[in-house]
Amino acid sequence: MGRILVVTSGKGGVGKTTTTANLGMALARLGKTVALMDADFGLRNLDLLLGLENRIVYTALEVLAGECRLEQALVRDKRQPGLALLAAAQNRNKDAINPDQMKLLAEQLAGRFDYVLIDCPAGIESGFRNAIAPAQAAIVVTTPEVAAVRDADRVVGLMEAAGIRNSRLIVNRIRPGLSQVNDMMTVADVREILAIPLLGVVPDDERVIVATNRGEPLVLDKNLSLPGMAFHNIARRLEGEKVEFLDLDAPYNTLLGRLQRALQRKIF
Amino acid sequence: MGESGSLGTLLGLFLEPTEQGIRLHIPPAQTGLDWSVLWPLVEQCLQWTTPWWPPDTAVELLALDRLLDSRHLHDLATLLRGRGLILARVTTDRRQTAVAAATAGYSVEQPPPPQATWSNGRPAGAPPLYIRHTVRSGAEVNHPGTVVVWGDVNPGGRIVAQGDIFIWGHLRGVAHAGCTGDGQRFILALRMDPTQLRIAGHVARPPANPAPDACPEVAYQTAGQIQIVPAWDFVKSHPGGYAE
Repeated sequence: MGRILVVTSGKGGVGKTTTTANLGMALARLGKTVALMDADFGLRNLDLLLGLENRIVYTALEVLAGECRLEQALVRDKRQPGLALLAAAQNRNKDAINPDQMKLLAEQLAGRFDYVLIDCPAGIESGFRNAIAPAQAAIVVTTPEVAAVRDADRVVGLMEAAGIRNSRLIVNRIRPGLSQVNDMMTVADVREILAIPLLGVVPDDERVIVATNRGEPLVLDKNLSLPGMAFHNIARRLEGEKVEFLDLDAPYNTLLGRLQRALQRKIF
Repeated sequence: MGESGSLGTLLGLFLEPTEQGIRLHIPPAQTGLDWSVLWPLVEQCLQWTTPWWPPDTAVELLALDRLLDSRHLHDLATLLRGRGLILARVTTDRRQTAVAAATAGYSVEQPPPPQATWSNGRPAGAPPLYIRHTVRSGAEVNHPGTVVVWGDVNPGGRIVAQGDIFIWGHLRGVAHAGCTGDGQRFILALRMDPTQLRIAGHVARPPANPAPDACPEVAYQTAGQIQIVPAWDFVKSHPGGYAE
């Protein structure tokens, strides 16, 4: 049986879908079979990020209604044959499906794939309840912002109450320059509050936006960018490898940088 | 105490040791709490309580005027079994609940024992609640006794206790001790960095610039306001938790 993981955050726009797409690709590149499940009914995006929008014929709802078989609804990625997407329905809302049906689908997928990654919608309402219902573990995505961390804390608590106690953390969109000068939360600040194991840190990068718009996840690039490398490392950590975290502060750890920081601290 | 809303409302959801085993108190229907609201709190209460009972301890459910059907009882029995407890007895004054419980094979008792009446307020002096867990944003712990948290209370988290509050960690949320009006109660935290502190009817916000060298501190009420002092000083000036 494969592992069923939910990618969640509470707050919207912190990078759940980007993380799901890149992590799925990265795991597939490691030779694993991966099914991505979009749980964001009515506001699906995962297909766009993967560049698979025009190949969707059936969605999860048709599978549940018995109008097609699960295999027919799975969109196989041509770039990474190990990767498949089960799309959400775009013309319906979150109440089109219930937690038991999500469980049913995810468990069927887990029988055929090494990993099932569920892309959770923002919020803590029925869409969230649906997405976490089948999950054995969670990947919590947050950015180093007070609001995102507060919401992440809330969903970690909700998942603990629902029996999902092995959440791991990805801090996305880090801007080392900013946290160096004390203008932004650091990864350590985020970990201090959430108190769950760190799975990865991903730097902020314009190329993420470009890749998102093109429908080509970053991890597919021949010359891996820094965020691409970060996602690749996260995939390896999921596979149980010990991989050092990227040293995002390296370019700032010069004598001049340290001097600047020392001066700034005095002033404030 | 000039309180309104959910903060001052004690739920009355707790486990009480008895001679026969454990009595599970749940808020009666007259509190206006629907089962769908109550159920996650019951789950939370049982998950958060570290088992202090031997395995397979019998539980008496004090359902009072609450209407429960066989499905409710089944869910509850399953939850209890997961925590090493066995639902054995249901005490209720609702006929339908009694019938459902009897049909499911539990022994039924009516009317309820006199100490459980709610006419003179809430049951007081419940055993301390131990939470070995981070209290995260959105979680609210209500307990008619003293609360001990073995972990942090994060911003957005809230502890409301009739007794004292001990936080063996970082307090960043809201803590309300002596919530039914007992001004002698205090709040202790290894790191006191709260959103807000309340003791009985008094409310305090932390200073805008907290002391940089954080040490364990105690908040208590004196002369109509809440004071925060290093825990060491408090222990000396208040042996046993009371002013000399």
